[in-house]
Amino acid sequence: MIRLDLARPSRHHWLGYALLAPAVLLIAAIIVYPLFVSIDLSFQNVGIARLDRPRRPFTIANYDRLFASPDFWNACWVTLKLTIVVSAACFLLGLGTALLVDNRFRGRPLARLLVAMPWAVPEVIAVVIFAWIFDSSFGLMNWIFISLGLADRTINWFSDPSAAFAVVATTMVWKGYPFVSIMSLAGLQSIPDDYYAAARVDGASAVQRLIHITIPSLMPVLGVTMVLVMLWIFRDFSIIYVLTGGGPLKATQTLAIMTYEQAFGFHRMGYGAAVGVVTLAICVVAAKLLMRRAPDHL
Amino acid sequence: MRLSLPARLLLYASVAATCAILVFPIYWLFVTALSQPDQLRQLPPKFWPDAPRWEVFGRILAERPILLWLSNSALAALGAVGLSMSVSVLAGYSLSRFRVRGGQSLGLFILAAKMLPATLLVIPLFGIFRMTGMIGSLWSVVLAHATLIVPFTTWMLKGYFDTIPRELDQAAMVDGCSPFGALFRVILPVAAPGLAATALYGFVLSWSDYAYARTFLTNAQGSWTANLGITTMKGEYISNWADISAASILVALPILAIYLFLERYLVGGLTAGSDK
Amino acid sequence: MKPFLKTVAAAAVAATLMPGWTPSAAAQQTVMKFVSWQKDERGVGDWWAAVIKEFEARNPGVRVEWTKVERGAYADTMTTLFAGGKPPEIVHLASFEFQKFADEGWLEDLAPYIRGSGLDLKGWAGQDACNWKGKPVCIMMLYFGNIFAYNEELLKKEGIAPPTNWAEYIAAARKLTKDLNGDGIPDQFGTGHETKGGAGVYLTEMMNYTLDAGGRWTDAAGKVTIDTPQMIAGLARWKDIVRSNLTPRDLSAGETRQMFADGRIAMKLDGPWLYPIIQRGKAKDQIRIAKVPLDPPVGGSSNILGIASEIPADRKKLAWDFIAIATSDRFQTDYATMAASTPPSPRAKTDGARAATPHFDLLVEMAQAASRAGVDRIPRGLEIQYNEFAKMVMEETQRMIIQDLDPAVVVRTIQAKAVAIQRQ
Repeated sequence: MIRLDLARPSRHHWLGYALLAPAVLLIAAIIVYPLFVSIDLSFQNVGIARLDRPRRPFTIANYDRLFASPDFWNACWVTLKLTIVVSAACFLLGLGTALLVDNRFRGRPLARLLVAMPWAVPEVIAVVIFAWIFDSSFGLMNWIFISLGLADRTINWFSDPSAAFAVVATTMVWKGYPFVSIMSLAGLQSIPDDYYAAARVDGASAVQRLIHITIPSLMPVLGVTMVLVMLWIFRDFSIIYVLTGGGPLKATQTLAIMTYEQAFGFHRMGYGAAVGVVTLAICVVAAKLLMRRAPDHL
Repeated sequence: MRLSLPARLLLYASVAATCAILVFPIYWLFVTALSQPDQLRQLPPKFWPDAPRWEVFGRILAERPILLWLSNSALAALGAVGLSMSVSVLAGYSLSRFRVRGGQSLGLFILAAKMLPATLLVIPLFGIFRMTGMIGSLWSVVLAHATLIVPFTTWMLKGYFDTIPRELDQAAMVDGCSPFGALFRVILPVAAPGLAATALYGFVLSWSDYAYARTFLTNAQGSWTANLGITTMKGEYISNWADISAASILVALPILAIYLFLERYLVGGLTAGSDK
Repeated sequence: MKPFLKTVAAAAVAATLMPGWTPSAAAQQTVMKFVSWQKDERGVGDWWAAVIKEFEARNPGVRVEWTKVERGAYADTMTTLFAGGKPPEIVHLASFEFQKFADEGWLEDLAPYIRGSGLDLKGWAGQDACNWKGKPVCIMMLYFGNIFAYNEELLKKEGIAPPTNWAEYIAAARKLTKDLNGDGIPDQFGTGHETKGGAGVYLTEMMNYTLDAGGRWTDAAGKVTIDTPQMIAGLARWKDIVRSNLTPRDLSAGETRQMFADGRIAMKLDGPWLYPIIQRGKAKDQIRIAKVPLDPPVGGSSNILGIASEIPADRKKLAWDFIAIATSDRFQTDYATMAASTPPSPRAKTDGARAATPHFDLLVEMAQAASRAGVDRIPRGLEIQYNEFAKMVMEETQRMIIQDLDPAVVVRTIQAKAVAIQRQ
């Protein structure tokens, strides 16, 4: 019979380790080991990774090339642009829809359901939808733009760099805001009504209540949520790859896409691994900077 | 607190408009699926097809192995979630209840693992799976998906277990349970909604993967997951948007159904792990 | 929760028993993998289906798993498949992409098989291109010349005669691109080119105009000859056509061919495979086939069949059996009728084809014109690096179009980069 006082967990109880062991083993096998292989590959001049063959000599040529390559800096810039644009839009749209749906009205459950529905649509399907809507020849968007007078000729959504960026951003925002919405909604529901009641008694307007009660109370949840959203944008592959492949002229080639293209498009896995390792490093540093709180909350 | 009439009207109007715009793309997918292909190659677009061809769904099911794709996605997801949850439940419980040396570092590592781009990990996994001959097998995708899921589920479960008072475990053990018994017979039932939400989240993560499926499964048609199947349709010579849309709807249905069924738990489940 | 975990465990065990879990098929059948971009394509796709049917009939217990991979990602996907150690047994590649695979040792030397089955390749069109370092690593499946198809109605409406040279062609294309219903969006296009099919095809489309201007990627010795006045003129033509929107943008080959077949595009330069698609289009009665108004026409080797080298010997035998069927006199004859293209075999009987395809003699004439002019899509000296070369050219050309750059400057960039790629 195992004696255990969980209210005061003993520091080195073997059960704690035993319970952790499976997770540690699995993570070691499928994440840590491959990660080391990746880092190893990034220091070799290797085309196609053949792990059963002898290692190639150590070289930092990949990293040299990386930092000197305009494509790499372009990818950094594109990733940064996309992260900022999409996060900002997801934040506004997610918070906005949460605030809207948080009110009491008939049909509220239905509204909540609809508002978050894009979350459940697989990314690849979202791509099919938006690729068709933004089709250069027969898509709905060109028709809307021309009918509303926003453009005087058809926009080549996928041959024009800025247009393609806009399409990618739009698709990502559509897929990304529901998460912010759901999290905000949960956060909103945990704000005690008393706060609002007290504020109303004090004569605060709706806007003042929003600014002084709602947003500060939501900050912890929103902070965590936005960091997760940004990480998602950083890492995303499906949406961008299937929609534009990183083009045209690398206007939508984020670091993640560049990693894949180098490894599986040009079959330079050493170089691709180097790009990937640098991406990971940027992610970790950025996340640390963004999260001033303890990682507990994540 | 009742809003005044104009305010209420404004609210209803805003909600309706917002929902309409945000859900419109899904509606458009339906419209496209039901349209005749040559009608799609004309402008102005029709907001409801003239002669909606409801039979397209039956035809696509017959022409394309949609059910096979869906079952592959489901198998991979079940496998990945099963593996991840088994491991995460134990680890999350441990991290929540015990203090272990290195637990903090493990926590940090799992956090960092969430930032791993799939496109980085796919390179070494490709090399590893090639060596073990697993390319083309669903096992490769199960393991690859686990790399996506485990970082999230471990943290979500830890957070969820944190919200369950330790006194409960204590009480169970006082009643004669072993710690394992306490975990399985008392804590887990209490944590059921959180577990369900976490498993669902893991399922969605696995289902939505494309990078791994594309890299490891392209050469094995019989193992294609739903996402891979749809993208091969999209790359075809004649982009038949109507057919692709119909196939897309069929492929998205299971996840949408799961979502509709479990949406109310989603908010609770997702937040339980993230915020004290 | 125990029941939950139990059911998950049970499901996992059950799942392992399902097919798709184990790398090798659990079934009794042998599965031969055949990957192609031509699957589901009218005409040539039907021919492949017939070959597969015959192969399966002759080899009971063997099934062909036919997978489609789109042209745009074909080279990359095939390379990844080979690199992953699970290549398709029956290898289908475009004529300009197989060299890298041969260089990696991934294609089987076919000489013993050719000898063993007594296949006579004398006079086999384009077969020379299949010799890699003295060994035949593939069989050429098509040697072609482009055709020129135009919609007679649309041209008559504008009072244009079918063009016979570049100047007439571009003038006609301009006149024929118009907005029919006044909504500001052009509904009819003078010509149609694919811009989404991947780099190899993009270059092929460009070559329609660069060849006529006298430009070549490399010369007979393999030296890069892009920084030339002829190539500048060729690039300028391509830029003009795309920037003036004389062709619909962002469409794949299938979409442009379908649009042409339905009468939305007035003129099309394409390979013989265009014909079966025209036959099913709305405008089929208005479309005429003629000689390409540009000289020399795009043409040359098209696609090859080979055997993967890293597969077991019995699979190689089966793969050869497949190739033997495809190259048999009977199926080569069928190729002429079903695919409406010029079969490479000198023994194919093309009389039946003439009945089904009235312009068959024209096809032969165009293929010969291409051959005489030494036209081929495989640039000598850049065979191994073709994938990378093509991607680079496509990107620089797209940059020229999007940023409105001077072709004279662009050729210098492309020349420099091509030389660098060649040196790698």
